Amino acid sequence: MERTKGYPAALDKKLQDTRLYLEDSNPEFTKNVKAISRTNAHMCYQCGTCTGSCPSAPRSSYRIRKFMRRAVLGLENESLVDPDLWLCTTCYSCSDRCPRDIIPTDVIMAMRNLAFKRDIVPVNFLKTVTAIYASGHGVPNNDVNRAAREKIGLSRDPPTTHSYPEYLPAIRKILDHYKLKANADRIIKEREG
Amino acid sequence: MSESGAKHKFAFYLGCIAPNRYPGVESASIKAMKKLGVELVPLKGASCCPAPGAFGSIDLNVFYAMAARNLVLAEQMKMDIALVCNGCYKSIWEVNHKLKHNKDLRDAVNEVLKEVDMEYKGTINVYHTAELLYNDKFIGVDKVRDSVTNPLTGARIAVHYGCHLVKPHKDREFEKEVMLNTEHPVWMEELVAALGATPVEYRNKMQCCGAGGGVRGYDIVHALDITNEKLINLQEEKVDALTDICPFCQLQFDRGQIEIQEKFGVSYNLPVLHFAELLGLAQGMSPQDLGLDLHGISCESFLQKVL
Repeated sequence: MERTKGYPAALDKKLQDTRLYLEDSNPEFTKNVKAISRTNAHMCYQCGTCTGSCPSAPRSSYRIRKFMRRAVLGLENESLVDPDLWLCTTCYSCSDRCPRDIIPTDVIMAMRNLAFKRDIVPVNFLKTVTAIYASGHGVPNNDVNRAAREKIGLSRDPPTTHSYPEYLPAIRKILDHYKLKANADRIIKEREG
Repeated sequence: MSESGAKHKFAFYLGCIAPNRYPGVESASIKAMKKLGVELVPLKGASCCPAPGAFGSIDLNVFYAMAARNLVLAEQMKMDIALVCNGCYKSIWEVNHKLKHNKDLRDAVNEVLKEVDMEYKGTINVYHTAELLYNDKFIGVDKVRDSVTNPLTGARIAVHYGCHLVKPHKDREFEKEVMLNTEHPVWMEELVAALGATPVEYRNKMQCCGAGGGVRGYDIVHALDITNEKLINLQEEKVDALTDICPFCQLQFDRGQIEIQEKFGVSYNLPVLHFAELLGLAQGMSPQDLGLDLHGISCESFLQKVL
């Protein structure tokens, strides 16, 4: 039976291949993951408690234990191009139960940070950035809600950046410092035209 | 005691989904907490926390800096923050905690904040309102019970704790030890019982709602499948309502049920209410005062039982 996750054939083949190729290993990756995640990923002894605790595991091919192994072995490409990297709901169940006191969730977050540096990121993550750049809110107000707020005795817009847009320039300056808006716009345009 | 007669005062950090989708959570929190001696003062100019799934995944440095800006606004008011959302707790509490304890992170954040004439000093604390309600240093279960004028007698209510208030527990610093039990906590059930309702246990109570980490936007079917599993477990216990302490989880369970109906063809019609909304009802606020008609799933069946 053909096993496929619907990814391009070459990627699928690569991800199915469980052999270790030393030339694929980048020791810097292990160090970078540790520095960004601020957790001792290299202490992992592969018990699998993380995968056993994971709500995403039973309904996908996402196996957090596998990503932990990749972190230890420095398998940068394999980690960052695997679309399963984005299926962690960050529930931290694995982190609560890890017998080595590692925080696997933060290892995933570190890998996602490193993926973004290579423009690997789902578009929906970037749209939250552009929403906040525009209004200060990831989920902005709308007219139905404004009317409802008024009806229950609240101001039509909450006392956040929505009511005080003079706070927006500082937010934009922070995002621009990291060139986040420019990168988000560029990647969204490349993907969606 | 302050001029308003309130025993405690907090800068009220709203986040996004409470004020912009479930405004009843905002208004019920302000009114209910006032009755319990806690004044919630608007945190002017606050932004998104920012969304820990999206921002944390893209660049943790931006995540720290953006959360720090919200923290500085409260520092300038010389007030601790109170908030109503687990996702916001992850950003605001956790970044405050990280910056207080890591000089390298604090210096990096202040380098950026300097550009907007701000400085993070680490002078305030951050609390979730559920924590304030449970902790007798602030309010406590007995006072919550005493404030009830319309007990929710006869209603079977299950609790969804969500993730980021309590996990990872090794990083959290609750004064009440009982809040650190993340395998099988019961402190929210105590609060539900204080409102006169019957708290109901169900299988795999601590499972995530499925929405976090950007998964709701990345793969909605995957996220809903996690939600659906929880709804199946809740249905087994014939609960009248589910209560949560996170508007994002609430969105996933409430609007999510409509999406589950569309995508999987299953309906549950389970009313989903933030604990602030429940508390408001129990203190005599009307469903209209709470804007419960904004919920995706009608709360009518539940309201008929308790009103």
